[in-house]
Amino acid sequence: MMVASPPLGERLGASARRAVPGLLGFASFLLVWEVVGRIVNSGRRIPLIPPFSAVIQAILDDGWSYYGPNLGTTLKYAFDGWVIGNVLAVLAAALVLLVPKLELVVLQLGVTTYCLPLVAVAPLVFLVYTGPTPYRIITVLFVFFTTLVLALAGLRSADPTSLDVIRAYGGGRLEGLRRVRIISALPWIFSGLRIAGPAAVLGAVLAEFFQPADRGLGVGIIRSQQQLQVERTWGIAVVSTLIGAAAYLIVGGIARAATPWAPKVDA
Amino acid sequence: MSIATSTPETVMNPSATEASTRPGISLRGLTKEFAVRRKRVRALDDVSFDAPEGSFVALLGPSGCGKSTILRILADLEQPTSGSAEVHGDPPEVIRRRHELGIAFQEAALLPWRSVVANIKLPLQVSGVEVGDQAIHDLIKLVGLEGFEQARPNQLSGGMRQRVAIARALVVDPKVLLLDEPFGALDEMTRQRLNLELQRIWTERSATTLLVTHSISEAVFLADVVAVMSARPGRIVARVPIDLPRPRTPDLMRSPEFHAYCDQFSDLLFSRGVAPSGDDT
Repeated sequence: MMVASPPLGERLGASARRAVPGLLGFASFLLVWEVVGRIVNSGRRIPLIPPFSAVIQAILDDGWSYYGPNLGTTLKYAFDGWVIGNVLAVLAAALVLLVPKLELVVLQLGVTTYCLPLVAVAPLVFLVYTGPTPYRIITVLFVFFTTLVLALAGLRSADPTSLDVIRAYGGGRLEGLRRVRIISALPWIFSGLRIAGPAAVLGAVLAEFFQPADRGLGVGIIRSQQQLQVERTWGIAVVSTLIGAAAYLIVGGIARAATPWAPKVDA
Repeated sequence: MSIATSTPETVMNPSATEASTRPGISLRGLTKEFAVRRKRVRALDDVSFDAPEGSFVALLGPSGCGKSTILRILADLEQPTSGSAEVHGDPPEVIRRRHELGIAFQEAALLPWRSVVANIKLPLQVSGVEVGDQAIHDLIKLVGLEGFEQARPNQLSGGMRQRVAIARALVVDPKVLLLDEPFGALDEMTRQRLNLELQRIWTERSATTLLVTHSISEAVFLADVVAVMSARPGRIVARVPIDLPRPRTPDLMRSPEFHAYCDQFSDLLFSRGVAPSGDDT
């Protein structure tokens, strides 16, 4: 029989109750940070670990005029790399499914992009390419492999009986891919896209360490460290973390809206 | 007790309820071997069987006797190692490509992102067969799902999901209907009710039907002819026409004739040591 879903208010209340332990944990983390910061810094002129309150103050002091341009540059690289890396990963996974012989080659390539030490690759990439390209390439390296593995697992998670149904009605491999596999893989691919969000932000910030441009969060970290503006360094780190978390949550929200039939994954 | 065995001669002697003498399902020396960890396992051993067009055939046997394998060969989902299978005089591949096949499995295998109507329409999209909205509506009515057209599979009970699967199997108006224990995972009460409805549906749509089952009463209740199988290797040990009037009613299940058939099949399945000791598939 039909199972009625609970009214919206009730559902919101339930998810709010579930969020309580997480919020408590986060609040106690901030408290410990604040206390440690105050103890460690007592008597120092340049703080080692600035307390949480000082970092927030620094972020507010720097304001949008500082963060706006830096964020814009980094997020552009992160977003481009995120899109390119994920599209490549999903295409590679679909290719493996249509031509199974390519699996080993594609996976080896994927593992390589994941395992290459950044300190070895980044200078080479900047040597070969100029402009925004090398930043994008490094970000792609940060997102490609996880999405590839998840997309491949997702495409293979399709119900074999559903594929039998497709075949019994005269459908071939492509029809099975189109009608069953790709859609069953969506929750997995979305997981890949979620994980890739923070990874892309991290990749873009790290890329800026190797070739600091005029603007960018990574550039900001380097400069503020050189100028002993420790609160600003921490501030940029906090903002980068928030951006990564926001990317994760936004993709998660889109995933829930796009695949309402999929089993729920929390967090 | 006389039991007609699976020799081709018995085909020419159809019971009164068998609709026609044109070939429906025809298996000739069907053998299937699987490779299991370097060993070759024989799932089907020289299976021969015939049933006329339009008849309702039940394949009855214990788990692992290869009855599903026969169904999968008839659906062109598996290839026999040797021997041949034909439906209405054509090999399964031709039947499949002509979209004359309807199939339902023990799992409903509905696509969770599709509504009831969209799931029923899936075979049409895959095969390119066109069917009007009225026909879809009639089909939903036939399987008793009116009012649930837009529901998603996870909002339906197990029995209702199987109704959707049956409707999906019927949507291309198949000439042959293959049912692999479609109600096997349901509780006994739902199962009996759905069997009654299946009989009604089958009477309205005259498709040659093969039902794979391990339920003796289900086989006797629904079939024109029952093929009894033994396990390891899978063989047909008896071919028994069921001479009971249609439409068959729940009352019939209490009649001595019905019980005589059930006892006959119990004898065949148990006293001959047909059922394997372990239960695995």
